[in-house]
Amino acid sequence: MPGTTLGGIRRIRKGSSAALAKLARQRPTEPVAWTEAEAIRRAQAGDAAAFEFLYQMHSRRVYALCLRMVSNPADAEDLAQEAFLQLFRKIGTFRGESAFSTWLHRMTVNVVLMRLRKKSLPTDSLEETIEPDAENSGPKRDVGAADLRLSGAVDRVNLERSIEKLPPGYKTVFVLHDVQGFEHNEIANIMGCSVGNSKSQLHKARTRLRELLQEEVRDQARQERQAAKSQTGSLD
Amino acid sequence: MQCKELEAVLEHEGLVPLPPAARAHLAECAACQGFFADLTSVQALAHELPAEADPPERLWISLRAQLTAEGIIRESVEVPAGTPWWQGFTAWLRPRTLATAGAGIVLFVTAIFLSRNPIPQPVAKIANSPVVSRVTSPVTSAAASRVAPPVKDSSLTPRPSPTEEAMANGGVVLNQAELDVPDMQLAGNSTVDASLRNNLRTVNEFIAECQQHLKEHPGDQLAREYLESAYQQKAELLAAMMDSGRSEH
Repeated sequence: MPGTTLGGIRRIRKGSSAALAKLARQRPTEPVAWTEAEAIRRAQAGDAAAFEFLYQMHSRRVYALCLRMVSNPADAEDLAQEAFLQLFRKIGTFRGESAFSTWLHRMTVNVVLMRLRKKSLPTDSLEETIEPDAENSGPKRDVGAADLRLSGAVDRVNLERSIEKLPPGYKTVFVLHDVQGFEHNEIANIMGCSVGNSKSQLHKARTRLRELLQEEVRDQARQERQAAKSQTGSLD
Repeated sequence: MQCKELEAVLEHEGLVPLPPAARAHLAECAACQGFFADLTSVQALAHELPAEADPPERLWISLRAQLTAEGIIRESVEVPAGTPWWQGFTAWLRPRTLATAGAGIVLFVTAIFLSRNPIPQPVAKIANSPVVSRVTSPVTSAAASRVAPPVKDSSLTPRPSPTEEAMANGGVVLNQAELDVPDMQLAGNSTVDASLRNNLRTVNEFIAECQQHLKEHPGDQLAREYLESAYQQKAELLAAMMDSGRSEH
């Protein structure tokens, strides 16, 4: 399929193996040996089995992206359904100019960002985070200050908690690149921005995460000190 | 290279591979070493996060119901492209297709047979005769259009006897052949058959009119000529009808 990058192929294979296994468990008589292109062509003709095949192939990644973006299973479910609905409504217009997964993720990101805009989070401005002003909103680093070495000090729980605190624009690029494995050109296609903008957003997201993780580490250290103090006081 | 320049490199080029100048700065700047190490840790930790999550089963059920309600998906469809070209031949072997093709062939052969063996049209002679064309009668219009008027189904109404019919139509019976005409299958075509009978009836009515007129006006020479010509037409019509009946039997 034109437009499919190596990263895209890798992800499709990874996703399709899980989807094929699931389909084989559920309906052993169904023709599960379709390629993605064949399934798309059948879905464009209205074939219910092809829709299910495409859903099983991509739903785990789409749902995971929605879950990371909103951190709420019910909302994530709702958003994933909306994304697939939009996809299947428009599948007749898919001509293969880009990878199918890129197309699907673009719809998913749009659905998620639209939802977040409607919610109008009070602490973060989407416009600011999608097209941040490097001087005002970019993450700051105190050069020369003592860095908390995060290696070994943070775990996945800390990271997940910090990702939740990221502004939506940073979060989208970070999850797509560092968690889901998309390349910058694909993210640029998904987000409707330039490759340079995608790289810049990713760097700022990582730097912001570093700050959030440092706060986590400091908070943990403070709590440990208080716990130790109270323990010592009770012993005295 | 300064610390800010290193950060610009990291922003635009990513964490790896670093250019030599950036690596040289990292080697001598402890702050940048810590910063770079932290970003690398974040990236490595993010790669360990699951990229997929199982959605609840009800998601597909709900989605499918919605797609079905909107008419987007169907249970079984024929995919428009991708089927081999030779699979189309199996469609020609279906019983309905074969029956339609057979009926078409029969119609075609019948049309050729009829075009090579046209049905005789004796009515045309009546229409072209000077007697009938001078008077307004149903025969003229029927013959001119060569389309027989709709007739009642003879099987539904009791037919009068041949003699009664002939007398009722004019009171003149030319010969035994005329008496046999009402029961005779003339052309094997109900429309042509009805047209011939209708023409005979019209001629008989015209003869009766002429006879009635001559009774009232015995000296009318023109009416005598009409009557004579009508008898001649009737004789020709009966001959044509007999020929048609013989050809069918």
